[in-house]
Amino acid sequence: MTRISFQTEFRHALADIERTALDLMRRQREVSSGRRLQAPSDDPTAAAAAVTEHGALAALDRYEQAGSSVEARLRLVDTVLSDIIEQLTHAQAVATGALGDTPTQAQREAAAMELAAIRDALFADLNTSFRGVYVFAGTASTTAPFVRNADGTVGAYQGNASTIAVDIDRGRAVRVTFDGGALVQGSDPQDVFGILETLRADVLAGNTPAIEQGIAALKRVFDRAVQLQSEVGADQKALEIGAVRLTTEKLAARKRLSTLEDANMAEAISAMNRAETAYSAALGAAARLTRPSLMDYLR
Amino acid sequence: MSGLFGMLAMTARSLEAQRFGLDVVGQNIANVNTSGYSRRVVDFAALPPTSPLNAGNGVEVQGVRAIRNALLDRRLWQEIPAEAMQGAIADALSIAEVALGDPGASIDAALSAFFDAWGRLSEDPTSTTARQQVVLQGEALATGFRDMVSRLTLARRDADARIRGVVDQINALTTEIASLNVSIARGVAIGTDVQALKDRQAEVIKALSAFVPVDVIAREDGGYDVTIGLGRPLVIGASDFRIETTAVGPSGFVTLSANGVDITGEISSGALGGLLHVRDTLIPGYVSRLDEIAYALATEVNTRHQAAFDATGAAGLAFFEPPAATAGAAAALAVNAAVAADPSRVAAASTPDPGDNTAARDLAALRDGRVMFGGTATLHEAWGRLVYQAGTDTQVARQEQRTRREIVMQVEALRDSVSGVSLDEEAAGLIRFQRAYEANARFFTTVDSVLQTLLNMVGR
Repeated sequence: MTRISFQTEFRHALADIERTALDLMRRQREVSSGRRLQAPSDDPTAAAAAVTEHGALAALDRYEQAGSSVEARLRLVDTVLSDIIEQLTHAQAVATGALGDTPTQAQREAAAMELAAIRDALFADLNTSFRGVYVFAGTASTTAPFVRNADGTVGAYQGNASTIAVDIDRGRAVRVTFDGGALVQGSDPQDVFGILETLRADVLAGNTPAIEQGIAALKRVFDRAVQLQSEVGADQKALEIGAVRLTTEKLAARKRLSTLEDANMAEAISAMNRAETAYSAALGAAARLTRPSLMDYLR
Repeated sequence: MSGLFGMLAMTARSLEAQRFGLDVVGQNIANVNTSGYSRRVVDFAALPPTSPLNAGNGVEVQGVRAIRNALLDRRLWQEIPAEAMQGAIADALSIAEVALGDPGASIDAALSAFFDAWGRLSEDPTSTTARQQVVLQGEALATGFRDMVSRLTLARRDADARIRGVVDQINALTTEIASLNVSIARGVAIGTDVQALKDRQAEVIKALSAFVPVDVIAREDGGYDVTIGLGRPLVIGASDFRIETTAVGPSGFVTLSANGVDITGEISSGALGGLLHVRDTLIPGYVSRLDEIAYALATEVNTRHQAAFDATGAAGLAFFEPPAATAGAAAALAVNAAVAADPSRVAAASTPDPGDNTAARDLAALRDGRVMFGGTATLHEAWGRLVYQAGTDTQVARQEQRTRREIVMQVEALRDSVSGVSLDEEAAGLIRFQRAYEANARFFTTVDSVLQTLLNMVGR
């Protein structure tokens, strides 16, 4: 027959109190902090997964910020390209108005002045910068792509043919600077400023065939600008779609992270209540160690 | 007449025996809470009659026995070290675990911030501020690695300090065992009661086994010889052999020696074994993993950075001070002083054109690069594995400790069922001896009354 000693009873009661008190403390911390993971040892697999999820979330945040910054730049580029297209359309209209023998010399001079104003407007548009970065200078983005000569004409393209692209997602980059040379000149012998200069002289001289050639050259620049604007528009659309996808991905990552790290409050509170009951029971059982004993019956 | 006087003498002996029985019960009750106390049982023997007209000479006390089971004591000494070892590991690792920090707020966060800075630079490759940010985040990341090594080293130092304390306690206990050996042998030789000394002896060995697993050999003179490791003596009879600690540079961590022999590697259990395991295996393992991550980070960043061009159009320098080897890479991680002093030396371009951002994009994309463990894991995932490893080690130690504790408690319960004091049993003993005393006293009165009757007859 197993003998029951006071020490055994006491030791077991104490161990049960310690165990249940520890469990209660853990559950209380879970409820009060709202976090399931207090230390990696609570759930090592979840802790390792949480590290990966935090990393993924940080990357998504970064791509979201990059997307927002790129979107602002592309909006500017789109506006500038719209203005360039408008200026080119206007230039073609002005040049068309100077065709033939009908215009007077005064009208030709007015048209030439208008063409000069369009040149200046295009000069300003193509030297547009975003936070100090010239958007039409390729990767030579700190150098103004077009400079004015002493005689008022515009010099050759100062930028380069490379472009700066920014990652807006894994494996998805969007251009934020553009090859101004390709836009204004392409494979033509003259850039848009040269074309406008020549056109201005031709308008003053009333050289209809030359004006027609100039209009055709402006049309090619116009086409390239429209093409570039549609490309920018496509990138803007991709950004918009990408932003929605990033938001969805972030929500999903946050949800996964929450599952890993956060306490399910209903479950945690229920577990805390159970732990509290177990602790009270252990305390009660220990208190019963002063149960009736044969000693009580000795007189 | 002589028969009646003999009965009085017999009753006096019986009264003394029952009083002694009460005395033993009192001793048991007094020691109900004394750890290691083995309950005592008094042995009575009936004294045989000396003549045909004599029923017997009453009772005599043969002795007092301490009820103990040597096998259960030994079993306890064998089970305690494993529980103590897991407890020591769990306690020591909980410090290391805290050092690693929360997911998303430790090295992983610093890695994200570093790659984010490269991402921002790629958006604006000519920005001085963005370059400055890359340098600052690189320095913060390097500081994060160095601090992590410091904290883990601190956790090792803490374990080392506890090792020194445990060794001091072991030496104090072995001195006490040797001293008890002397007292027990002397007591046995002169025939005095040595049970209290033996109880203490068992308790001291139990305390010792929580620190280090011991082999205990019973001596003929009643004492114990104690050895550890590969039979290294701690106590032989009256002699105790100290475990010496020697600090070994440059870490200053101690090695353990017994009789001049290094026994550090022989201690595989007990609190001492657990602390040694944490200090020499587990935490160095984490530091080593941290070194691997730091080495991969530094070499991968440097390779890309050196293939790129900085803001001045010059070829990129190493971004981090190039690590000499994997070992020590985390503790030595630092941004190249030349780059730190001049952020224009941050190389973001893959051509000498300062406006190019290809290299910065490439470096920002390194966050997803599988550059660890033979191309199977990213830097983040490698950190996650380290967190997982430390978490699992602590969790396993805690679970193992709980299991071992249950075993120890079971053995202690078994030991208590043999040696422990039961108050009910002692209460029964009280009644038994009290009633016997009362009956003997009544018998004495009766004999006295009979004797008085006889004396009255003589006087008449």
